[in-house]
Amino acid sequence: MTKRPRQEWIGYAYIAPAFGLALLFSFFSMGVSLYTSLHEWDAFVGRGRFVGLENYQRNLFGQDSIFWLALRNTSLYVVLVVVGMLCTALPLALLCRRARYLQGLFRTLYFIPSITPGVVVALIFYQIFGVWGKLLDNAATALPAIAIMAIWSGAGYNMLLFLAGLNEIPQDFYDAARIDGAGAWDEFRHVTVPLLRNTVVFVMVMTIIGAYQVFTSVYVMTQGGPERSTEVLAFNIFMNAFSVAGQMGYASACAWLLFVVIGVFVLIQMRLYGSKRVYDE
Amino acid sequence: MEETPRRAGPVARLGTWVALVVMCFGAVLMVYPYAYAVGGSLKTRLEFSTDKPAVIPPRYQPSTLMKQFGSGEPDAEYLGILKQWPPLRNYRDAVVYGRIDRYLGNSFLYAVLMTLVSLFFNVIAAYAFARMRFPGRDFLFGMLLSTMMIPHAVLLIPQFLVVQQLGLVDHLLGVMLPGFAGAFGIFLLRQFFLNIPAELENAAFIDGCNRWGVLWRILVPVSKPALITLGVFSFMGAWNSFEWPLVVISNEDLYPFAVGLSLFRDQNGQDWPRVLAAAAMGSTPLILVFYAAQKFLVGGISLSGMKAQ
Repeated sequence: MTKRPRQEWIGYAYIAPAFGLALLFSFFSMGVSLYTSLHEWDAFVGRGRFVGLENYQRNLFGQDSIFWLALRNTSLYVVLVVVGMLCTALPLALLCRRARYLQGLFRTLYFIPSITPGVVVALIFYQIFGVWGKLLDNAATALPAIAIMAIWSGAGYNMLLFLAGLNEIPQDFYDAARIDGAGAWDEFRHVTVPLLRNTVVFVMVMTIIGAYQVFTSVYVMTQGGPERSTEVLAFNIFMNAFSVAGQMGYASACAWLLFVVIGVFVLIQMRLYGSKRVYDE
Repeated sequence: MEETPRRAGPVARLGTWVALVVMCFGAVLMVYPYAYAVGGSLKTRLEFSTDKPAVIPPRYQPSTLMKQFGSGEPDAEYLGILKQWPPLRNYRDAVVYGRIDRYLGNSFLYAVLMTLVSLFFNVIAAYAFARMRFPGRDFLFGMLLSTMMIPHAVLLIPQFLVVQQLGLVDHLLGVMLPGFAGAFGIFLLRQFFLNIPAELENAAFIDGCNRWGVLWRILVPVSKPALITLGVFSFMGAWNSFEWPLVVISNEDLYPFAVGLSLFRDQNGQDWPRVLAAAAMGSTPLILVFYAAQKFLVGGISLSGMKAQ
């Protein structure tokens, strides 16, 4: 083989910038977040008073805490987005394959929302929802409206993922099913669905994790209103940390609670489907 | 695709047509918001408030044009409106009153720098992880990958505190620094490098090339598709990012487009045509970049499950 030396210490120099940034902005930052969450933190002074678990306690049990309200709203939003996403992206992928013509055009058009800035999408839908009957002014419809927007903007991207998953299913499986006399539904049920499971899990997990952190659309469209119906966790964290003085520790505790919620979901998903291999790799 | 039709009968053909019609309907739903926004950006303020649902600005609608120009002279009032609101007036106003050009410039600088620097750092790290042997390599790579699991909502506050301690609040560098390298890019490039046969490099080593030379003269040119894919996504991620620059930057002169647009909207609540014009100006560059790089991207997106935001 090559006459390269056994150990190449220079490798550390190659990974140093990337690894240094990861140490600082991921690992050290997690520590900072934990530290902050145990303090009553004043961002402007840059130090705080140690309060132990009080910030967590205030989030979970405090009289004025909107953690549970925000968690309920966020969870409802996540359910709406995930269900809506699966009910649009998967059928779209199947239809796109079936359509046989114009596939390239469909792929491009459906993908454009994914490359449009979130603020722009939110501003446009702010107007469209206004035209369609004040969906954002009503506490019952504001959150579903934001979810519809999220589905609109993510459906094309996930359609591409499903198309990639569908293309990985060998044609032999369908041929075999056909020889056994399977109809279109049997094929879908017994070939497509099981073999697409990894893609479905991947899309669901990514959608759940993304949707739990929804921020931009709420910030631009509703600011948590009307009647706190769109008060979501990431928006709550942002407001407490950067708009209210001295609440940074409280917001950090809320961020950790959000982390726990997301983590639990990932674990549940993984166990439910008993699949370690989520997507390619 | 030479996928044989399932049953060559009329049922299968009907299925194809139904699928085509549904997909076209979906495409209309996808395009409608853009058409609405572009139409809105061409409306006069009065048109926008009186005829909200219209996609085509009333003064340009066929019925109006027929009425005005179909038989003889158009009336003076209509000509006045046309003169007062040339088609691109709102775009000009968005620049003059909203300084959208400034925000676009900031976004461009910020996205280009972040893309170039992150590609550089990711390439060298990925090369070391793919080809070099040093103690703890796989452990360090695993550590790096684990950072992908951390939700950005959790990192928002501590990253801000770190940037604050570094004295980079209100600096473009503060916005860019955390994005100068990323586990995902390193993972993707490493996979790509691993699939390149080592013989290609060995020939260069025999010719006296060192690691650095081999990386830039042999591997990087071969990896163009992966680098373009990653670069375009990094550019889009930087261009679209909102929450992070919103937190780090408070000096309006340094706002990137997304934050500047949100501010412009807050200041121009009554003047939506201008806001929509600004929105259109900030979205088209991305669509053009995407379109230009599309032939490289389609494979990359589907393979990697990449996301710009």
